[in-house]
Formats: sequence, structure tokens, C-alpha cells
Amino acid sequence: MNSLHAQLLQLAIATPLVAALIMAGGLPKRFAVKLAGVAFVVPALIAAWLWQQFPAEGGASYHYLSNLDTGLGRFGITLKLGLNGIALPLFLLAATVGLAAGLYALRSGAERLRLYLTLLLIMQGGLLGVFASVDIFFFYFFHELALIPTFIMVGLWGGRDRNYAAMKMTIYLTAGALLSLLGLIAIYVKSGAQSFDLIELKAVLAHQGLAPTVQKYIFGLLLFGFGTLVSLWPLHTWAPLGYGAAPSSAAMLHAGVLKKFGLYGLIQIALPLLPVGAQTWAWPLALLAGIGNVLVIGLITLAQRDLKQMLGYSSVMHMGYCFLGIACLSTIGSGGVVLLMVAHGLSVALLFMLATSVHHRTHTFDLTEMGGLAQKTPVLAACFVAGTMASIGLPAFANFWGELAIFVALWKFSPGLTAVAVAGVVISAIYGLRAVARIFFGPPSEHLQQVMAQHPPADLGWGERLPALILLAALLWLGFYPQALSRSIDQALPVGLAKVSVGSVTVSPAQP
Amino acid sequence: MNPVHTTLLILLLPLFSAAVIALGLRRQGAWAAGLSTAVAGAIAILSGQLIFSGQRNFPAAWEWLRLGDFVVSLGFKFDDLAALMLFVVSFVGFLIHIFSLGYMRADAARARFFGGLSIFMFSMLGIVLADNLFMIFIFWELVGFSSYLLIGHWHERTAAAEAAKKAFIVNRVGDFGFLLGIIMCYWSNGTVNLTALGAQHVPSTLIALLLFCGAAGKSAQLPLQVWLPDAMEGPTPVSALIHAATMVAAGIYLLCRINVLMVPEALTVIMWIGTLTALYAALCAVVQRDIKKVLAYSTLSQLGYMVAAFGLGSLTLRHEMGGVVHEMVVATGVGAAMFHLTTHAFFKALLFLGSGSVIHGCHHEQDIFKMGGLRAKMPLTFITFTLGVLAIIGMPGLAGFFSKDAILYLALEKNTAVFAVLVFTAVLTSFYMIRLWKLTFWGTVRSDHAAQAHESGFTMTLPLVVLAVLSIIGGYAGFFSRLAGAVADLVPEATGAAHSTILLVSLGVMLTGASGAWLFYASAETDSLEGKFRLGFRGLTGLKESFDRLYTYYVAKVQQRLAMLLNFIEQIFLAGLLIRGLGGVVTLIGYGARSLYTGSLHTYVYWFLLGTALLWAFAVGIF
Repeated sequence: MNSLHAQLLQLAIATPLVAALIMAGGLPKRFAVKLAGVAFVVPALIAAWLWQQFPAEGGASYHYLSNLDTGLGRFGITLKLGLNGIALPLFLLAATVGLAAGLYALRSGAERLRLYLTLLLIMQGGLLGVFASVDIFFFYFFHELALIPTFIMVGLWGGRDRNYAAMKMTIYLTAGALLSLLGLIAIYVKSGAQSFDLIELKAVLAHQGLAPTVQKYIFGLLLFGFGTLVSLWPLHTWAPLGYGAAPSSAAMLHAGVLKKFGLYGLIQIALPLLPVGAQTWAWPLALLAGIGNVLVIGLITLAQRDLKQMLGYSSVMHMGYCFLGIACLSTIGSGGVVLLMVAHGLSVALLFMLATSVHHRTHTFDLTEMGGLAQKTPVLAACFVAGTMASIGLPAFANFWGELAIFVALWKFSPGLTAVAVAGVVISAIYGLRAVARIFFGPPSEHLQQVMAQHPPADLGWGERLPALILLAALLWLGFYPQALSRSIDQALPVGLAKVSVGSVTVSPAQP
Repeated sequence: MNPVHTTLLILLLPLFSAAVIALGLRRQGAWAAGLSTAVAGAIAILSGQLIFSGQRNFPAAWEWLRLGDFVVSLGFKFDDLAALMLFVVSFVGFLIHIFSLGYMRADAARARFFGGLSIFMFSMLGIVLADNLFMIFIFWELVGFSSYLLIGHWHERTAAAEAAKKAFIVNRVGDFGFLLGIIMCYWSNGTVNLTALGAQHVPSTLIALLLFCGAAGKSAQLPLQVWLPDAMEGPTPVSALIHAATMVAAGIYLLCRINVLMVPEALTVIMWIGTLTALYAALCAVVQRDIKKVLAYSTLSQLGYMVAAFGLGSLTLRHEMGGVVHEMVVATGVGAAMFHLTTHAFFKALLFLGSGSVIHGCHHEQDIFKMGGLRAKMPLTFITFTLGVLAIIGMPGLAGFFSKDAILYLALEKNTAVFAVLVFTAVLTSFYMIRLWKLTFWGTVRSDHAAQAHESGFTMTLPLVVLAVLSIIGGYAGFFSRLAGAVADLVPEATGAAHSTILLVSLGVMLTGASGAWLFYASAETDSLEGKFRLGFRGLTGLKESFDRLYTYYVAKVQQRLAMLLNFIEQIFLAGLLIRGLGGVVTLIGYGARSLYTGSLHTYVYWFLLGTALLWAFAVGIF
């Protein structure tokens, strides 16, 4: 049975990649669209099935393991796939957002649709691979595989400033990826494990940890490498620009899923392997994230007039919460981060998609040029309000649980920073609701009246409604029933992490 | 039926209703209205059964989230306090659903309205039943959301959209403190379960005050009161249910829930905030022209009374015994506050629904100076509204008389200054309510709308009658004690000389205010207050606007400017103008990467492929 599941896991990753290959081979367009649809649906079904079959008490170890020789054995690299309690939620996220972005792309009417879908499928395959990789070389490799199509998609189908945005994204993200690769290789070299297999690395380093100075340097490399990829302030400037320019499906997959690569790397690899390094960096990280990402970027988000830029900045801001959760070095904090990663992935994908839907109807992203759209498109308005509420952490949506756990953990780390972080919740309510009001409520602006006179806006069609409903349903499901994922996350978080700080009420947090 | 199942059903039925309406009845307004009302009726029946069955404190808790040692649970704490609140929410809620059937009949978005009401019922019932602070917070935010939906029901009007946004954001400011308070409470006590906290906790002024922030936001106490008057942009049944009878009272309910966590210093602050809110709002009410705004400020003022009562009556008593100082927290404040909350829910819901009936009858005219003479045209509305007015100004024998007297008595015993302010506020209450009543129902007809006014239909007048009956009997021990159980025993009762003092004072207060208004607004074409006391009128108007001005100034001039400034700096970075000049990591990364990739996408792809190929080739042993 287990080998069947392992094969299913391989199949989930292979399907979009093989489909992309066939399509690149010159499949006629009408078949290509159908094939792409199938290739987006299959991984989602498999992911749901694997989630359902996941052992109730088995979050701590890897399941569905398989090991494929790729000819790189002499470096200790094998394509080892499997899911543990932390990987499972993110794999599910990748499959869900991939499905939504794929369905949206099928009906998006993009130019050169076949190429667009091919690139999206490569991205999707890479993303699924990232979170299913136990081998940290392949973890990195799949990330690059997903990253390249992003650049191309921004460059080819992007909006305003696409060339500059694509270049800037490329520079920052490649540099970040290189730094983290350096860190990963350093772990490989210093551990002496002769293997990139995370399970083996963990076993070796649990037995004999790396020297504190070494840990400090490697963690620093990983922190700023991964940090750049996740838009840690002040290395975030690629994000609003890139997302502002990216076509919607690419933005959905990148902001929703690919960006989580860095956080995932920190939680799954850096924290358990480099506990001492993590302690050294906890305070700098918390300050950058708390003051920079949450407060400064939060205020900057207030000043945005462009809807997509606003979403980009708000996404940077919410990554601040994830970094704060990581800095707590506790089970509560890291658990909150994993929950928030999933929740944010779903909600930001939903909002980027709906922003494009708004653009189709208003022909602008400028918030001051909109207004009154809710009268014409009530379903779009309802979905957008729901997405905004999810993103600003309203209970009943998944994001709330992640933020709550992070705030609770953060108090033990620093009450002052908790106050800053919770103040961010007020800020996000202001920009979120302001945007909703400007787009949908009140009377339409003059610009919009002209646009609507020429193109009467229609409400969400099924091509847009279905992906929106998938994402919303997932957000609500986790909002009402967080245990669906939190159980396995809780089991998977290393016990050692709890010992470092917040495990129990009496133990004091990491030193400032 | 098992009480746990009944409670679960009460909580989940409105959620079911909201989900069905959102998914399938968006275009079927009549069906949505029917479903939502039927569910509200079912809740009322189930609640009645639960309340009067006498079952209390049955164990019911489920784990909702667990990460490490941190557990959030979903559980019920059903004691006499919760039972009383459940009665108020479910019965007043049901009556307002019935009223809405008539009031919203012609509304195009009726389904959304009733879906919103169901979400509200779900959230509010969650607060009432919750057994721990995290769960209260969750439903607390959800009530805020349903309030947002319903205030903004007519979202095509900018004023309504703005009011909805303002309500949500101001509430979030309160919740900022509330959440911090809960987290702090969690870490210092190891639990947020209300029963466990009652058994043992570490006293802390900071926790008490932070938790009070939440109550101040939801119950619109100074300085967070600004959202409530604006919230009147919502349909009138919403104002009655959410912004008068139940949601805004949730703050008072919360305080009574966490009574045990209170410390003297915090209670003093709470007492003064309540007292000042009562006075401030009553002053503002005197100069309002809009029938709903008068009632909104009146609600604020009455909420101030409740908060003040809580602060007064829960003060710690010190007494020495054998050289040892004993401290004891008394809960008479809880009794007085909850008593007034209950009677206020009846008569204020009645007044709002009455105003809704008037507005409906007058074709959406809301200016009381354009009404007049409606007594004969809307007799049933007139009679019930009159009972509501008499109840709020404290006519002996009606509900408001008893509950307000309990508060005044408490003030007389504990703090003379507070007593004086509350008595003066009572004069004002009597004044502005009689002003409203006279201008609306008496005198000459002053506009075409008022001339064509007609009595409302059965679904609208029935709730008025029921609420009028409740406004009469709600204050009697025979009714309230049966409903409130142990909470009723906490209500302070004046005896002997104090009893006569209070009775005389409140009668004098009522008559002064009422006769003042009756004589002053003898003929009411325009606001005679504005004509005769121009300076005073301006002062009061200015007072009303001062908070809004201050906050607008802060938002526009401080916060937004800071945001613009930060954004300007950010844009410079974004545009890359400074990237070369600034040195440091960013520059290095930029240069390093640029020299490698020369900014071309395709180059990057080639590098990637080349690297992969080389690695593979090397590994397989080609070279």
C-alpha cells in the first residue's frame, strides 16, 4: 500500500512536468488545453488523497518515501521523495493553488496560451517537487525549476514595467537562491554526512551538532538567502514590483506557493539543523521583520493607489508575521508560521486572481479610478471581501489561526514586538477595507462610468468563479477546522525546538 | 434533549442558515428571509427550553487547535449570566427578524440582509456561550464583521460604506488591546478558561485594562465611541438589534464575564470612562435632528451607565479584622449592569423599531423637525413608542425605572461625584427623549412625507407590542429573577432612607427634564435651542464633532503623511536610483548578479541548464 502511495506522490509531480513536455513537443492547441486541465487536476486529487491517508499520529516522520537514483549518488544526492507533517500542508497548498491558477489560466484567454500553460505546468511540477523533496539538493533544484518560468512569464506576459520588473526579480531571487545554496552546501560539507538526505543529516547532526560559530555563519547565509526569496525587509523591493507586473496565474503561484520555499527551508532545514545559529539570529530577524516588514511596509501599503502594488506590499507585510513566528524558536511560533504559510498562500492567490478580474471590468488598477462595482458584480465583490477578510486575519478564515499562534508565541519572546505585530492587524484592516470600499462601494468614478458604458461589466463567470470558490472553500475549511493540518504540523515540529524556549510557561525565551 | 446538543444546535443553526443563503438563495429574497426568520424562531424556542429547564454549567468543550502546549478550545459555559444574555439575544433577535420581514420587504438585496442577520446571530451566540477568552475573541471579531456587512448594506451610498469601514476599524483598535490582554492573561495564568480563571488567577491592572479595551470598542465607550452614531447608516432593524440591544451590550457582558479579573485601579478607570461617556453622549443627543441619531447617542449614554455601574459596584471593599486588611470584590456592579442591559435591550429595541416604523411610514424621512402630528396617523406605533420613552426616562413602574435606580443607588453609596454626573445625565435623557417624542408625534404636521404617513403592517407592529409589554414587566422581580437567577440576586436594592432619596431624586429628574423639553419645544418649526441659546448649541455641536475632527486629523495628516513619506523613500529604492550609491549587501548582490546575468532572462535559463548538464556529466563520470 505504501509503495502505491509513494508512486502516487511521484505521479503527482511527474504529471504536470510530462504534460508540459508533451505540449512543448507541439501538441495542437485544443488538445493542449485539455491535457493541461487534466495535469492540474491530477496532482490536486492525489494530494487530497495522500492527505486523507496520512497517519493520524505520524506527522513526525516521513511517509510515502521513495528513492530514485539519478546518477548523482557520488555526491550523496538521490531523488528522495516523501512527506512529513510540515511538508504535507505545503504540498496540499501547492496542489490547491496550482489547481486554481491552472483553471484560471485555461479560461484566461492569454496570448500564446499553449506556451503560457506549458510554463505554468513546469512551475506547478517544480512547486510540488519542492515540498515533496527529502533531499535538500532536489529541494533546491525544484525551486529553480519553478523559478525560471516565473521570470519568463513576467517578461513575456507582464504588465507595466515588465522588463525592469523581470530583471529586478531575476537579480534578487537568483542572488537569494545562490546564498541559500551556499548555506545548504555548507551544511553538507560541515556535517560530514556525505549526503543531502535531510533525514540522514538530521540524524548525524542530532548526534553531533555543528560548532556554534559554524552554525552562526551558515544560519546567516540561509537567513538572508531564504529571506530575500521571502522578501525580508529591506531585501523585499523586488516583490511589489514583480507582482505588480506578473500575469495573474504566475503571481498566484509565486506569491501563493513558491515564495513559501524560503520559510519552509528555514523551518524544515535551518531550525532543526542549526539550533544555536537560530538563537544568535533570532533578535536581528525579529527586529527586521517586526519593524521593517510589519510596521514600515504596513504603513507603506497604506499609501498605495495601485491595487496590485497594494496586494504585493500587503503580502510582504504578512511575510513579516511568518519571520516573527520563526524568530520565536518555539513550537507554537513555528506551527503558527506553517499554518499562516498555507493560509496566506490561499488568500493571496485569491486576491491576485480577483484583482485581475477587477481589472478586466474596470480597465485600471488605480484604486482612485474605481468605485461602485459591487452593484454590477455582486459575486465578485463578495469573493473579494471574503479574500480581504481572510487576508486581514478575520476568524473563520485560515489566516487567523496562524496569526494568533504567532502572536501568542511572540509574547513570550517580546511583549513589545507583540504589540507592534498586533498593531499591524489594525493597519491591515485599514488598507484592506479601504481598497474594498474604493473598488466596490459608493458611486462609480467618471473613468469607470465611461468604461462601463462601452463594456458593460459582467459578474464572475465560471472560469473565474470556480477557482475562487476552491480557494475560498479551503480558507474557510481551515478556518473552521484548523486541526485538519495543525495536528500533523504539531507532531512534526522537533521536540528540541520546544526546549529552546516556549515549551512550557516557566522556561524563559531566547536571550536578547 | 441533551443540553449540550441543544446548545450546539442553537449555535450552529444560524451558521447553517447563512451558508444556505450565501450558496443558494442569493436571488430568492423571500426564501432567504423565511429561512433566516424560521431559524431565529427555532433558536428562541430552543433557548427558552434551555433557560427554563434550569440546566446550568454542563461540561462541553472540544479541542479546536493545538500547537505545542498552546490549546484553543471550543466550549460552553452556561451559567445564569449566560442564560440571561441568551434570552436577550435570542428573543429580541427573533422579534427583530419578524420586524425585518416587513421593513425590508421591498429591498433588492433582501437575501444578503437576512444572511447577514444570520451571521450576526451565529457570532453573537458564540460570545454568549463561550467558555474561554480566545473563543470570545473569535466570535467578537465575527460580530464586528457582521456589523460591517449590515451597516454597509446600502453600500452604493458612500456614507454607508464609510460608516461600515469606520465601525470595523475602530472596533479593531479596541481589539488590539483586547487580544494583547488575552495573550498576557494566557501567559500569566496558564489558561484563559473563564471557570479556571475564576478559581485562580494572578491579579493585574494591565490585563484588566487591556481586556477593557475590547469592551470599550464594542460598547463604544470614550474615546472609541465615534463609530456608533455613524453606524445608523445601516437599516433600522440592524440599528435596533446590533447597535442598541445586543452587540453593543456585548462589551458589558464581557466585563461581567471577566469580573473576577478586575482590580480596584482598573475599576476606577472603567467607572469614570462609563460616567463620562454617559454624560458626553447625552449632551450630544440634545442637538441631533435625525431620529436615529438621537437614539444612537441615547444608546451610547445608556451603555455608559452600564459601564459605570460595573465600575462602581465591583469595587473592592477593604475592611480590617484583627489588624489584617481583607480585600473583597463585590459583584453588585455585575447585577446592576446586567439588569440595565436587559431592560435597555427591551426598551431601546422598542424605540428603534418604533423609529423604523415611523421612518417606514414617512417614506424614509428621518428629520424629526419634518415630522410632527404622527400620533393620530400611527396610533399603535405611538402608544408603544410612548411606553419606550417612559421606560427610558425612568417613569415609575416601567422597566427602566428599576434598573436605572439600581445604578443611581450604587453611585450614591460609592461615589458622590459619579452620582451627580449620572443624575444630571438622567435630566438630559429625559429632556432629549421627550423632545424627540414631542417633535415626532405631537404638534402640527411639518412635511409632505409626514402628512402621507400610515401605520405599518402586522409584522412590524407585532414586535412593537411584544417589546412594549417586556418594557413594562421587564423590571419586576417576578420577571427578572426568574430569568436571571443568581444574577438577579446581585442587583443592589435601596432600603430605608436611601430608598426614598433615590425615588425622590429620580422622580424630580424625570419631571425636570420632561417638562423642560415639553415647554421648550412648544412650537417646533426649527430647533428652538439653536435660536435661543446659540452659543450653547454651537458648543454642543462642536463637542459632538470634536472626536471625529481629531481622528480625521490624525488619519489624514499624521498617519497618511507618514505613510506617504515612507512610500516616497521606498519608491526611490524601488526605482533603483540609490541602489548604486548606498553600499552594503544590496549593492553587492546587485553588482554580482548583474555581472553574471547581464539582466537577460534567457541568459539565466542557459546558465541554469548548463550548470545542471555539467553537474550531471561530472557525476556520471564523463569527465
